[in-house]
Amino acid sequence: MTVSSQVKQTLASLKSAQANLETFALSTQNQKAKNMYTQAAQTTQSIVDELQMRVNELEQQEPQYKGY
Amino acid sequence: MPDWLETALRASLAVVYLFFLAKMIGKRQVSQLTFFEYVVGITIGSLTAQAALVGGVDTLINSMVALLVFALFSLGSAYFSMKNKVFRNIFEGKSTVLVKDGKIMERNLKKERLTIDDLMEQLRMKNAFKLADVEFALMEPNGRVSVLKKTDKQPLNASQIGLDVRRESEPQVVVMDGEIMDEGLATIGFNRHWLHGELEKQGVTLENVFFAQVDSQGKLNLDLYDDKIQMAQPSNLKLTHATLKKCQADLELFALSTKNERMKQLYGEEAQRMQELLEEITPWLNPDAAKKMKKGLDALP
Repeated sequence: MTVSSQVKQTLASLKSAQANLETFALSTQNQKAKNMYTQAAQTTQSIVDELQMRVNELEQQEPQYKGY
Repeated sequence: MPDWLETALRASLAVVYLFFLAKMIGKRQVSQLTFFEYVVGITIGSLTAQAALVGGVDTLINSMVALLVFALFSLGSAYFSMKNKVFRNIFEGKSTVLVKDGKIMERNLKKERLTIDDLMEQLRMKNAFKLADVEFALMEPNGRVSVLKKTDKQPLNASQIGLDVRRESEPQVVVMDGEIMDEGLATIGFNRHWLHGELEKQGVTLENVFFAQVDSQGKLNLDLYDDKIQMAQPSNLKLTHATLKKCQADLELFALSTKNERMKQLYGEEAQRMQELLEEITPWLNPDAAKKMKKGLDALP
């Protein structure tokens, strides 16, 4: 497995975790838990964005790693 | 026979008689009261009162005959209106156009003896505060005003923006007052086994459930007797926690393995942020792990 595909895999897991956090935030009735989840989802989203940028960069530099 | 006993008997008779008449006339009376039916309804009430109280036995019989005639008239008018448009116009009346192409029809207002204030009131009740928003308004035979707003003032719907939406059919009630409704379950294509399984998944016993509804996607929504019980979140929480932890570890790994200094720093920063996030969120996602983490920290020298 190339480094690029490893990074992409991590990115995918992170996205899934982020989506889960959002689901938890929506489904819980506890306001405190809701806030926690929302905040965590936001932080995760920002990391996802950064990582996504990195992947794009990687793909530009090394076009052979494009796609999945 | 004492007076009071006679009254009691007559009243019971009148009530039973009225009950059957009401059944005969049907629910149309209530749902779409035309003026005629409204008056007939009131008259029937007063005739029943008379049958129960006033005069001797002959009044009783006469009142009952009159009652029957009124009920039959109501039925007959409904029957003929159903069969013929002319009768319909006579018995139920016609609707009146009050606003057309955004312009008020003053003559029709006068015909219905509506003032402009009445019209605006009716429009406002239909959420049209500006006359400029109204394309068309109509007074129905039952006196209510229907309003069609201008196209650009109508609420947006999914088809206008080309949004594909999931079709949802009506939800089914599957538990009511703690009892399983087999009919609802069967309608949506599930059985008791499925319900028990779903309840188990959410960690609730049937005795605790006051009300449960299944939507068309098969999602079970519960309301418990005890509102203080927090329903167990599915183990997705732990799974997410594990995923987050793994991602954090991956980021650290990338930071260690890359030779590019800039990349190393960026990955390192992200790993650090993930770590902070994990510390914060672990008590919520996985309380057991949070306790262990704390113990581990305390054990450090």
